[in-house]
Order: sequence, then structure tokens, then C-alpha cells
Amino acid sequence: MDEKQVGVISCSGEECLGGTIARLATRKVMETLRPDNVVTLCLPLYIAGGDEERDFANEYPVISVDACDKCCAKRATIKYSGAVKDSLVLSDLLGEDVVLSKIVSARDLKEEHYKMIDESADEICKRVDRILAE
Amino acid sequence: MSKVKVIACSGIGKAMGLMAREAALQVTDKLSPDTTETVCLAHIVTGDAEAAKKVEGCTCITVDGCPAMCAAKSVEQAGGSVKAKYRVIDEMRNHKGVDAGTGTALTEDGWQIVDELAGRISEKAAELIKGDLNNG
Repeated sequence: MDEKQVGVISCSGEECLGGTIARLATRKVMETLRPDNVVTLCLPLYIAGGDEERDFANEYPVISVDACDKCCAKRATIKYSGAVKDSLVLSDLLGEDVVLSKIVSARDLKEEHYKMIDESADEICKRVDRILAE
Repeated sequence: MSKVKVIACSGIGKAMGLMAREAALQVTDKLSPDTTETVCLAHIVTGDAEAAKKVEGCTCITVDGCPAMCAAKSVEQAGGSVKAKYRVIDEMRNHKGVDAGTGTALTEDGWQIVDELAGRISEKAAELIKGDLNNG
């Protein structure tokens, strides 16, 4: 595997818009913005003991992306792999009212939501680039 | 009685994770909002007491993308009473060769499979509620 790899682990919370934004922003970074350097880790599989996810998180830097201040992805990563290299909490970036909105299905997303996804993806990229530059 | 919890894995790597997520949301937001609700799986798996309270002893339906069954395992571990387990991979066996999309976006065919699955989950939730009411 390329030495310059960063894992991004998203909470993907199902109860609020922030989970959808976290998920889609993470996917955008992996697929489009930093496809050669970013791997996404599946949080449920990681928790359930997926060897591939845990081995990666133990060996490579991981960025957690959480919708709200419960920081589930960050706390889970710390619990099972000891540390996160960086983290992003979308309620800090977009506002708590926005991320806790009940519009969650990808079917219901509007242009304003896609702008939030873009903004969140850019913030993830900043963190990825800082790690890659070390 | 409390609402039936419909909990999806939302696996980020594949279309099946997105399909599981969207099927659960279709049930809780559109088909059966008065009798079902979803819970963040990420919160449940942290092991928080607050998160465990959301599912402990509650009637739950899980929707997983792949055979790893992360949602079912995690909800059971948190004390949820999992009465039905759905797997998108099983749905796909009935739609061989269909391109359902990716973990980012589903195709029209993918959405159709989601809707079919959501319909069945909604019916199951109604059945479970009826059973609970009959059992007192």
C-alpha cells in the first residue's frame, strides 16, 4: 500500500442531516478530491472487529468526521485504535441547528445541502493535506 | 408502547450500505413515521449508557448491507430485542445483474429495490406492533 494513505472515518449518523453530510463529504474526498490518498473506514465494521479496518487504523493516520458533539466516530476510533490524527465536528462548522435537522435521506437533499457537503469535504481535505505534508 | 426501532448499518464502502440506510429512512420518515423511528448506529456502538437506553429491551428491526451484519450484532450487543434482520445482499440476489449504484448515489433501479425492501420492513413493523398489542 502507498505510504501516503490517510483513513477517514465518518459517523454517518441516521438521526440527523449531519450524518448524511458527514457520509457524503467523506465519500467525495475519497472518490473525487483525494482519491489516491484517502481510504474510508466503515465505522460499524470497524467496531464489530473488522480486521482490515482495525489494522489500517492502527497503522495509518485517521481523521474522524462527526455530525454532532457526541463525536461517536472519534470516540470509537480512540477506543479501538488509541488515537485520531485529526477530527472534524460538523456542528462546529455548519451550526448545530443545521446538522440536527431531520432531513436525512439523500432523496431530500437540495442545492444548499450539497454546498454544505462541498464545504465539509474541503475541510476534510485541509486535514488530509496537513497530514500528508508532515 | 414505544416505537419500533429500525436501525441500518449505513456502511460507507458500498451501495448496499447506502441502500440499507435509505430503506430504514424510508420506513421511519415516510412509510411508518408514527410507529417506527431510527437510532444512530454510531451512537449505539460507542457503548454509552445513554445510547443503550435507546434500544435496551425495545423491539428492533435491523437493516444491514452485507453479511457482516454489523447493525444486527451491535444492536443485540446493546440489549435491543432484534425481531427481524434484513440484508440488502439478499435483496440483490433477487435482482441479479442490476446496477444499483454506488455508496454515494443510487441508480433508479437501486432506489426501486430500496422502496421494495422498505415496504416489507414497514409491513413487518406493523406486524410486530400488532403482536405486541395482542400480547398485552
